[in-house]
Amino acid sequence: MAEGKVLVVDDEVHIIHVVTIKLRNNGFQVISAENGADGFKLACSEKPDIVVTDFQMPVMTGLELVEKLRQSEATKDIPVIMLTARDFAVEDEQKQELQILEFLSKPFSPKELLRSVEDILYHKEIKEQDVKTKITY
Amino acid sequence: MNSQLITMNLYGVGDLEFKRNLYVLISCIVVCILFAEGLAEWHYSGFGEGWRLVTSVCGVLGAVGVILLGWYWLKLAWGITSITRELKQERAGAGACPSIKLNGNAVLNELSEAINDRLGNSGSYIAELEKQIKDLQIQIQLSKRQKVNTEAIIYSIRDAVVVIDEFDKLLMANEAAGKLFSFDYKNSQHKPIGELVGPERGGFVDFLRQSRRSGVRHTRREINFSGDGKLKTFDCIVSCVYNPKGWEPKQICGVVAVLHDITREKEKGEMKNDFVSRVSHELKTPLASIAAYSEMLLDGEARDGQTRKEFYSVIQSQTKRLNRLIEDILNTSRIESGLIKVEKKPVSLTILIEEQLQMIKGYADEKNISLSWGDAGGKPIVFDQVYADRDMISQVIVNLLSNAVKYTQPGGSIKVETEVDEIANLARVSVTDTGVGVDEENIEHIFDKFYRAGADKSQAKGTGLGLNLVKQIVEKVHNGRVFVTSQVGVGSTFGFELPLSPEAYLVNSES
Repeated sequence: MAEGKVLVVDDEVHIIHVVTIKLRNNGFQVISAENGADGFKLACSEKPDIVVTDFQMPVMTGLELVEKLRQSEATKDIPVIMLTARDFAVEDEQKQELQILEFLSKPFSPKELLRSVEDILYHKEIKEQDVKTKITY
Repeated sequence: MNSQLITMNLYGVGDLEFKRNLYVLISCIVVCILFAEGLAEWHYSGFGEGWRLVTSVCGVLGAVGVILLGWYWLKLAWGITSITRELKQERAGAGACPSIKLNGNAVLNELSEAINDRLGNSGSYIAELEKQIKDLQIQIQLSKRQKVNTEAIIYSIRDAVVVIDEFDKLLMANEAAGKLFSFDYKNSQHKPIGELVGPERGGFVDFLRQSRRSGVRHTRREINFSGDGKLKTFDCIVSCVYNPKGWEPKQICGVVAVLHDITREKEKGEMKNDFVSRVSHELKTPLASIAAYSEMLLDGEARDGQTRKEFYSVIQSQTKRLNRLIEDILNTSRIESGLIKVEKKPVSLTILIEEQLQMIKGYADEKNISLSWGDAGGKPIVFDQVYADRDMISQVIVNLLSNAVKYTQPGGSIKVETEVDEIANLARVSVTDTGVGVDEENIEHIFDKFYRAGADKSQAKGTGLGLNLVKQIVEKVHNGRVFVTSQVGVGSTFGFELPLSPEAYLVNSES
């Protein structure tokens, strides 16, 4: 059973609901917000292990949210998965610059999302362990 | 040409050369007689009476000869005077044909005949010249008329037209061009085009020069100009004008530029692209929910009955949402193409509103928005039947309600009011929300197709079709009227008026 805190940001409550159930059923702790601005506040206060965000949202879009996350020292390293109903909304260069690790097109599969979250957190954990080992030596 | 030759009848018809010789002979005889008389006078005293007779005869003959010569020279002078007078009359334009008539002197006749011949030839030449002048005048008139026609055609073109010569100087421009480049299009001929259009539009002049130098018959480019305070895009087609056929060397003698304003088309194209993108997003959003919840049900992630029921409910509501969106798109298309089937009959607005409120209640509850409805002023509605297509008016009501829910923050409220104006014979429905509101700049376009207010884009998702469809159904199909009032940060009231059903009004009046 995986562990970790996931922040889900989407203006569609049904999507938040279904993602929350899927992740919770698989051992994750889930917090959620319905727009980018609230999502950023939560990210700063809760420091999630990963953010799953929609692309188009009121008040603050998913892209703006990621930009803000990267600007803040506390949240700049949080990996992001973006859900989008619009294909090719973000240029490849921008994806790399903002370190958006995964793009999932809507309609998406909750199973696929879960797999992406687990993969990203697994690699993150390995990376952190490597850093700790190097520091110990 | 009516020239005539001189009539010779002074001495009858005879050989002119012979008569000229006769005059010379008479003159010689006279001279000889005078000489003989003088000689006789000299010998008068020595030779006796016989010589006196000879000298007398010679004297008489000499006198006759002098008279004849005098008469001849008078005749000659008269003839010359006549010729001069005739010629003067000709020069004064007394007649169109040069013609000199003399009777008497054969020499003068010959002279006048020669002059007549000459005048006759000159007359032909002048007549030929006059003909050529008339032809040229006709051609000038035709050219002027053609120029006026060409100008009229070019002036009537809505697109800006600029014609320049090979030295980049203006030959012709129409009103649209004058307006676009801000110059006096009627009085700017032969001025450099660069000066007329201004340095800020140097790109256009460069394009004209490049096209002329390249010699390509037609070139096309999109050019952006600022005009009327906003950036406009023009489709600029430049055509090189070559010398007419047969002119050598064949070279470009000018350039014609036609500038068609495509700003609106570009905006429409962008709006359509944006619309396709938004429609795709709007379709995918409920589809994403349906797909995700179905997968969860299949994977057994809904672990109890309550959760399963909730999942089925979400799938159902998202299916309805998807269907509503597809109906919006289809109905907009149908109304525009005139292919929609309209079934008008007396319909109660009260029933339709109640039905649509029930339909939207779940969506409002999700956002914790309260819904209420009643008649304006609290008066009971006597009747509210309108003559309308039931499905279409239902769609109008649900579109207004869902818009109100969409743009109202959680915890807000929505109020539906109905009013019957018996004097104006119409029913009025209004939906008032406590949402974000629309500013003045956007409100006049709020019913436009694909239009979404600037603030809306960050407030909620949408296709920009819903309100346009409301307007189309109410105004185009039902001869009603839509209205909106709004205040940013306070809320908006969207509504519509429909004519009351004539039958229902009649029944109600009788009762």
